[in-house]
Amino acid sequence: MLDLFLAQSAFPQAMGQGVLAHYLFVSAAMFTLGLVGFLTRRNLIIMFLCTEMMFQAAGIALVAFSRYHLNYDGQTFVIFVLTVAAAEAALALALVVFLFRKRDSLSAEAWLEMKG
Amino acid sequence: MLLGVTDPVAYLPLAVILMAAIGFSVMNLVLTRILGPNRAGETKALTYESGMEAVGTARKRFNVRFYLIAMVFLVFDVEVVFLYPWAATFANLEVGSDDRLLWLARILFFLFTTIVAFLYGLRKGVFRFD
Amino acid sequence: MAAKIALIWPEIALFITTCLVMLLGLSPNKQWRSLCLPASMVGLTVAGVLAAMGMGVGGPVGDTPLPYLPGFIKVTVAGVGLLLLLLQAGLIDRREEALIASGRAFSALRTNRAEYFALVLFSLTGLMLCASAGDLIWLFLALELTSLPTYVMVAMSSSRNRAQEAGVKYFYLGALGAATFLYGFVMLYGGTGTLQLATMAEVIAAEGVNTITMAGLLLSVLGLAFKIAAVPMHFYTADVYQGAAAPVSAFLAFVPKTAGFVALLLICSAVGWTHGESGNALPEALRIMLWVMAAVTMTVGNVLAILQNSIKRVLAYSSIAHSGYMLVGLLAGPGDGTFGGSGVSAVLFYLAAYGVMNTGAFAVIACLERKAADRGEPMEVEDFDDLRGLWKREPALGVLLAIVTLSLLGFPPLLGFMAKLPLFTSGISAGEIALVVVLGLNSAIAAYYYLRIVKAAMIDDPRGEPGAADSAVHHPAYNLRLVTGLCSALGVVALAILAGQLAERVTEASGYIAPVGPSQPVGSATVLETETLPVQLPMT
Repeated sequence: MLDLFLAQSAFPQAMGQGVLAHYLFVSAAMFTLGLVGFLTRRNLIIMFLCTEMMFQAAGIALVAFSRYHLNYDGQTFVIFVLTVAAAEAALALALVVFLFRKRDSLSAEAWLEMKG
Repeated sequence: MLLGVTDPVAYLPLAVILMAAIGFSVMNLVLTRILGPNRAGETKALTYESGMEAVGTARKRFNVRFYLIAMVFLVFDVEVVFLYPWAATFANLEVGSDDRLLWLARILFFLFTTIVAFLYGLRKGVFRFD
Repeated sequence: MAAKIALIWPEIALFITTCLVMLLGLSPNKQWRSLCLPASMVGLTVAGVLAAMGMGVGGPVGDTPLPYLPGFIKVTVAGVGLLLLLLQAGLIDRREEALIASGRAFSALRTNRAEYFALVLFSLTGLMLCASAGDLIWLFLALELTSLPTYVMVAMSSSRNRAQEAGVKYFYLGALGAATFLYGFVMLYGGTGTLQLATMAEVIAAEGVNTITMAGLLLSVLGLAFKIAAVPMHFYTADVYQGAAAPVSAFLAFVPKTAGFVALLLICSAVGWTHGESGNALPEALRIMLWVMAAVTMTVGNVLAILQNSIKRVLAYSSIAHSGYMLVGLLAGPGDGTFGGSGVSAVLFYLAAYGVMNTGAFAVIACLERKAADRGEPMEVEDFDDLRGLWKREPALGVLLAIVTLSLLGFPPLLGFMAKLPLFTSGISAGEIALVVVLGLNSAIAAYYYLRIVKAAMIDDPRGEPGAADSAVHHPAYNLRLVTGLCSALGVVALAILAGQLAERVTEASGYIAPVGPSQPVGSATVLETETLPVQLPMT
């Protein structure tokens, strides 16, 4: 058991492809769930959360690839992705508040004036 | 090795920690129930036992000003995330080298952007409550 | 790294202007407030001059396989950006300023001028940064910086519900597009092990395109299709362009589109136009995807444009079609590097030309919207009837509209024709004969609706009683918009005359350095670049 703990503090080794696949699977599943959610749900906040989930799916894949390639590019990218996600969240909430005050509804269906 | 573990035994420490965490919380709940004094009554049932009476519902709209404050908070919040990796890297640069100056200049420029955001908030009246 | 900073001086100048404008616009003093627009224009001019000086240095400046790209893009952005900025005059705070003039106290919370101009400048900064990008993080951030402000601009541009609807649609689909190309970038990183575009090009040249890289490429292109308004991410275009005020629609048709094409060019250059049987094409799967995208985009854009009655929607669909045309150039790649043979230079030429022509077309609509607003009608230019007899009511606007529309159509002596020609020739020299045929057919379809606009404006009689409100004194903002239109039309003519010069610049800018495999084994090269990241790994 002690060996195991010691092994964890040693220099990180590249992740095997098999393990990488697990991470990618989780990430792809999150991305797909986000996409499906985005396309099927009609509540503006839920739709936004779905796009956030897609961003975080990219984050998971980035960290896993970073470990797989043994460089820090991916982990650096994650910080920036989080920042952009925060900026988008601020924007989305502002828009949603704005719209809610106009229509008293959070449904995307309330906003279908333009067609064609 | 760290992530490449396929042997189920290797997850044992994780299981131990989980058990300990669950055990600790359950134990606390049970012990307070057994050991603590238990008095019920009208005063006890108030939201704030020894404070103001709660009025109205919690599900009401907040002033939009709180949103603005939250935005300003977000700026600083996210900014700090970048300061940590910068600090960790800066310490490893050779003292007195050109690189060090460049890195310092960069983070100062970055901080300058935050100051502009703050000034903007100030002019916009985000911090005035009246 | 210091070289990288030298590359982004224009962006730094623009950013500092943005900070200034943001604080200027919140001043209680009306004179200071009205300085927002001039200050923005000065900043953008400075940025353009800095970029042009950087271009004059000679030698590769960027660190991608398209190292000459940044200078040209930045100068173009500064040029078209000046027109777009001028067009934004009098859009924001119209009612608020009138109220203040009639005695209401100034309230910083109610005015939007500072934010609006700051957002415009932020978006332009992002676009310039896209061109400077040397790695995927940079590219991602720059693309987001280009797009995020535009979502707000759309929602702010008009007090009508329609603008807000457009803003929300644009934002949500934009977030979807961003997530898609982000995931694509991640896969590109996963497949090649690096985020640097130059290194990525070397890795791909040495090892070929593996499955993950290919997945990343396809997803990136799919996500970026949103930015350029190409099928299958084009659904928002018509609604957003219609819902936003005309100056903002003009902005949307140029800025995100250019950002998208720059990003596409950079990514395709990292993959290299060195695959395929002939050795100068993109990898097969990507080639097929772009081929289908180009053909479907231009066809859908043109066919749907015919079915529209709203002039803004027509221009929106035509903007989709123009993206389709430019995709042909992207697909053709740098070819032999000459002006006629290089698809990259064709795309750059077309971007510059499209920016000028399109701004002109929207400037005319913006003028009409402004006139309607001055008459107190909340009218927007809805359908072709509103354009009828424009020549008789407003001769200047009529002629302007005719020039830019014919140019958009690609009428022979005009700029649009000269821009479209290299797309044809580069497509042919890349061997994409079928696609070039589709391109030709589409240009013919496009003639229908463009000529319909010209006919309505120049030949048809005005509707209703003529000249009722036209004698009114025009608002200064109207004049500025008219000037924008005139400058665009002038640009269309001038660029057509100076096409040879422009072609030279463009050919220079499209210089492509085909990547070769790295001299050392990839595995060791990508572990850690101590030059950029002198971190003592905490885990060692």
